[in-house]
This record gives sequence, structure tokens and C-alpha cells, in this order.
Amino acid sequence: MARISIDPVTRIEGHLRIDAEVDGGKVSKAWASCTMWRGIETILRGRDPREAWVFAQRFCGVCTTVHAMASVRAVEDALSLDVPLNAQLIRNLILIGHALHDHIVHFYHLSALDWVDVAAIPRADPTKAAAIAASLSDWPGNSPQEMKKVQGKVVALLQSTQLGIFANGYWGHPAMKLSPEVNLVALTHYFQALEFQRKANQVVAILGAKTPHIQNLAVGGVMNAINFDSLATLNLDRLYMIKSLFDQIVPFVQQVYLPDACAIAGFYPEWFEVGKGVSNYLAVPDLPVDGKASAFDLPGGRFMGGDLAGVVPITGSRDGAFRKGVVEDVTHAWYKGRGAQHPWQGETDPDYTDFQDNGKYSWVKAPRFDGKPMQVGPLANVLVGYAQGHALTRTWTDDALGRVSKIAGRPIGVDRMQSTMGRYLSRAIRSAMLAELATKHWEGLVNNISKGDSTSYNIPSFPKGAIEGVGLHEAPRGTLSHWVVIKNGVLSNYQAVVPTTWNASPRDEGGLPGPYEASLVGTPVANAEQPLELLRTVHSFDPCMACACHTLDPSGRTIATVKVL
Amino acid sequence: MSLAIIGLGNVLLGDDGFGPFVVELLRRRYDFSPGVELLDLGTPGLGLISYLHGHDAVVIVDAVAGAGNPGDVRVYEGAELECLPVAPRVSPHDPAVAEALAVARFAGTGPLDVCLVGAVPGSLDLGASLSRHVHAAADVAAEIVRQRVEACGFPVQRRDADQLEQDWWIGPCPGMPRRDGGASASRLSTE
Repeated sequence: MARISIDPVTRIEGHLRIDAEVDGGKVSKAWASCTMWRGIETILRGRDPREAWVFAQRFCGVCTTVHAMASVRAVEDALSLDVPLNAQLIRNLILIGHALHDHIVHFYHLSALDWVDVAAIPRADPTKAAAIAASLSDWPGNSPQEMKKVQGKVVALLQSTQLGIFANGYWGHPAMKLSPEVNLVALTHYFQALEFQRKANQVVAILGAKTPHIQNLAVGGVMNAINFDSLATLNLDRLYMIKSLFDQIVPFVQQVYLPDACAIAGFYPEWFEVGKGVSNYLAVPDLPVDGKASAFDLPGGRFMGGDLAGVVPITGSRDGAFRKGVVEDVTHAWYKGRGAQHPWQGETDPDYTDFQDNGKYSWVKAPRFDGKPMQVGPLANVLVGYAQGHALTRTWTDDALGRVSKIAGRPIGVDRMQSTMGRYLSRAIRSAMLAELATKHWEGLVNNISKGDSTSYNIPSFPKGAIEGVGLHEAPRGTLSHWVVIKNGVLSNYQAVVPTTWNASPRDEGGLPGPYEASLVGTPVANAEQPLELLRTVHSFDPCMACACHTLDPSGRTIATVKVL
Repeated sequence: MSLAIIGLGNVLLGDDGFGPFVVELLRRRYDFSPGVELLDLGTPGLGLISYLHGHDAVVIVDAVAGAGNPGDVRVYEGAELECLPVAPRVSPHDPAVAEALAVARFAGTGPLDVCLVGAVPGSLDLGASLSRHVHAAADVAAEIVRQRVEACGFPVQRRDADQLEQDWWIGPCPGMPRRDGGASASRLSTE
């Protein structure tokens, strides 16, 4: 038996540590630990709720926008404050731009090299590679010349002494299965994707005034002044800049990213049998279509035990079951006490012990819904939509599964989605849906302004006494909720229950593991020294240990250690 | 020709906010010539690549874990940075400076001239302020950055009055009025 620890310990940033016991070539037990204190919300106590979002978006360096959004929504919920339709649509366009940027980066730049073997690329025939790419989609960027250019760069890099970005790839690993040509196609798109994720981020910058850390939000709406006759405001010129960006991003998502994700899934169909883990799913609705947020373009819901037929919708932040159902358990987390508390009563008093397999071992609390661990993220998002018959979700999911089945040479249905590969595929499906909705929300905004509505902000006013609110956002990594208690116009409690705490959750008082931990059990590991398979499943969740500080460490670091037990 | 001055770090975690602080200090103290961009990027991970794009030279300011006393300032040249080992990507925070530079270089869109001005932090505890030694180091780092920018061919003009005031995440200076009207832990404790 061996115990694997993957722990980027020496850099004070990533904070995710995975421990797995491997027995007979498979993981028998796993622990997920966040190695840095996650109590950043306490900095908000005593502050003005109108400025909370400015701090909240510094919780995390990667998901700044989503925390800003959940924060203003939480305060608006506490005040029962509607926002103007323009504000809602501007926020939605920002959220779509951010999510597309984030999903593209995850697929190509954070996880592709788990599946793509760079060392095989010199053996590829660029003309054949271009033909394979053309069989997957009619994207114009797949010429043999383009493939040859990228191949040349890879060859030069492999011949040099500095391997740079590929220094840590698990080359020639027995779990790598793509042909040299498919590897070359994927790496060509890796480079093209750099440009399109940047364009998606530009949408956020134009509307949000700055990225990272948008500046245009306000409790009650947005601070974008709208006037088609002014050069200094949000005008048609700027709106058409956004349209032109989406006109480039949407084809990339639908004709490159989605087909690539389907191809990887089709060539690695065995990963639809691995990594199911926790099969309770939770997603909240998002992209509201009116100022009251009473209807949404992406549905929310939950179901337990993998049973799609048992789906229960979540209708928004006013949904009583959601407001009551969420608790956080600290039995195995480095905080004082045991058991669970509702976020509005949540406390964050650190109580550090060492890493104790059966005691406390993580800075992440264990969120639970109706007492159960829940899996969140694009898979939950897609499955709750599919289960409710949501047309857009069904169209893109069926399209994707059709492509996967064709490549795999056997039918792969929605029942196989609850798996490591299902999580990768869902992120691409969700991106295709968001890309389609971008145009709809852009048109909605232009039409509403053209009707003469230029409002973007409703003034908040704070009552005496205590009020509570929750702000929801279905973020790239899943359900995000910010919970606020405001007393006499000042924040007295603030808790952020973030997607990665749902998924990276430690065990709870009843000993039930969180989604990462459960999904790793049973994962085959060919070579414990190179635990590529574990990374594939962990990466399928797109972990983001938000809250982090990051300090460059010029002295190098220890990465994966393997102890034979 | 264009140059970016990039501050990295989390402003809510004490001295990790060193990079963004130095960028704000430079923004208020100097007028830079066209072609120079000042960017507070927080902790962008691989998101850094987008901001390297299109610049010929980049000066990064960051907190560095290393031997030395809090407030020690050291300059790392590009080659030194790119030799850092690349860790396996676990979360999007993990690919940090070295990897972002390597990706940008490999894609052919990265800056050729790179340096990092780093300070050893004293405290990384939760809080929106720098410790005394690191606060003092900001002046040292700002001067190094200014010289570097001028050496790259961009004249830098000091403003008439030092316009540095305390930013929201740095907290109030002794004797200065509080920006948040005094809403702080003290008010909370009376309830």
C-alpha cells in the first residue's frame, strides 16, 4: 500500500492538499485539505454593506468578479431591493464574459495537459492532424500550416534544456492515449485559446471598467452611466465593441472548445466510469431576465442519490428551502467546536491541530444541504437543467453526447455524465449555452435602452434593526452564496459559502466525505510516483482554493511525495 | 515599445499587498510617459498571461518568500524567474509568475525584458495594512522601479506635491480622518 500526498506546500498560494491511500492499484481512501485559513470574511464585520463587494472581490484572485456580484446581491436581498433591468443585463453580460474566460482557461491551460502528451507531438503528421480537426468542426483556424507552426515550436522546446510550461507533464504515462495528431490539434487550440480567453475578459473590462476587480457595481444596480449621445458613457460604440468580441468568442466556444472536449471524452470513454463520488447535486438559478430576479435563463435545482427524476427546483434567493437548508459543519475543520451552523449564525474561530486523519484536517468547513454533502459545478448545473427539461440544456447536452458517442463508437448517454469525464464535458456544454445566451442578453440590453430606459441604479436605504440576506451566483465552479447580517446599517456577520468549499469539503460530524474525497475512491493509479489519474479527477472539479495569498517562492518546492506504508 | 508595471498580491493579507501598494504609490507620485501601464492585478494565477500580452518590458512587484528580514528588497532578473520549477497545476492559483512567463514566451506574445522587485514580508495575517518594515520598503522598491522604467527609455516625472494618500485597503494613517466614517470593530463591540 502507498500513501500519496499532492501538496504544493512551499508556495503560499494554492492551498489544496490531496492525500490518497492506494491499495491494489486503486485509491481506497482519500482526504482533501485546504492548507490555509479561510476566514477572510471576518474582515468585513463592522463595515458599510455598500462597500462590502469591493473587499469581497479580493477574497480570491481568480474569481474576483463572482464574489463582487454575490456580495451586492446579498445586500440587495436583505433590503428586498430590485435593480433596474439595464443593471441586471449589464451584470449578466459581465458574468457570461467572465465564465467563458474561466472555462476556456480551465480546459486548455489548466487541465488539457492531463490528457495531451506533448512528447508525442513531434511524431504527428500536420496534414493528417488538420484533416482530423476538420472532421470535428469547420473552424477556419485548423490549417496544416497552423499545425506545422505549433509542431515546430514544440520540437524546438523539446530540444532545449528548459522545458518551461511542459517541465511537469507526465509524458509517456501509460494513461496517455491520444494519437500524435490529436495531441497536435489539442496543443494548437491551446495557443489559439489564449487569444479567445483574453477577448472574453475584455468584455468584462469594457463593462466593469477594470479587470481583475471590476469597479462598476453598486448595491442597487451598476454605476455605468447610459447615454447613446455621449462619448463618455455606455453608448452604442461600446456596446458594438462587446458584440464584436462575442462574435469572435461564440464560434470559438461552440466550434472549437465543445468539439475538443467531446473528442477528449470520446477518446477516453473509460473516464465516464470513474470519479462519480457524491451524487447529490445542487445548482442555483442565474442570468435573471427582470429587475426583480423572478425569472432566469439558467434554472437551479437539486436532486439526491443521482436520481434526476427527483429534481426539486430552486427558484432564487427567496427560495425557503435553500435559505433554511444550507449549514456548515466544523467537526473536521480547524475551527472551534463540532457540528453545523447556519451561515447567518456562522462563526470562524480558528483551532489548528496537525493533519489528523480521523480528527481535524482542513481549513475548509463542510457545507451541507439538508444534512447531505452536495456536488456543485457545471455538472450539477447541466444535470438539474436536463432533469427539468430545460430546452437549451437539452439541446447542447444531446449535441455533445452525440459527438462523444460517434468518436467512442458506442452510445454514451446522460446517465454516464455523473463521472470525472462528465464534469469536463459539462463545463463545455455550459460554455456553449452561455455563448448562445450572450447574444440574447446583449440584444435585450440594446432594445431596452433604445426604448428610452437609461436607468441603472436604485438607491438603497438601510432600516434600523437587524436584517438578513443571501446573494446567489452560479459561478464557473458552481453554487456561490454570500450570507449577510446587517444591524443598523452595518455588517455584523458575513459568510461566503464558495463552490470549492462544497466540493473540497472535509468529512462531517457523521463521517460523510465531501465530493473530492468520495470521487477519488476507486480511481485507478498506474504509477504512484506519477499520480496523473488523481490529478484528472481533482482537476475535473476545477478546484480554486479562493481566499489565498500568494507569495513567490524563489527557492523551489516539494510537490508530490509518495510514502510506502 | 510599451512597458507594464504589475503589482501582485492579496491586499487583504497584510504584507502580501506589497505589490499593489507599490503600484498605487507610483501612480500617485509620478506622471509616466505614454506606453507605460500600471496594473494592480491581485493574485491572477494564469490570468497574468493576458496582461503580459503586447508589452516589450514588464516590471513585476511582489512579496517574496525567501531568506532575509522583513522589508528586505531584492531584484530578480528574467532568466532567474524562468528557471523556477513549474509545479503541477492543482488550482488556477498555482500557475504563478514563472509559468505565466513561460506560456507567454512560448506563445510568442510575452515580454522580452522581465524583472521582479520583491520584498520579504513580515506578516501575512488577515488585515488590510502593511507592517512597518515592509511599508518602508515600498519607497525603496518604488525607486528601483522608477530607475528601471527610465532605463527602458520612458521618462518619469515626479508630481509637484506628493499625492500619496492612504488607500482603502491600507487603512487610516494616525491623525487622518477615517474614510469609512469609523465603522470598525469598535462600533461592533458596543452592540
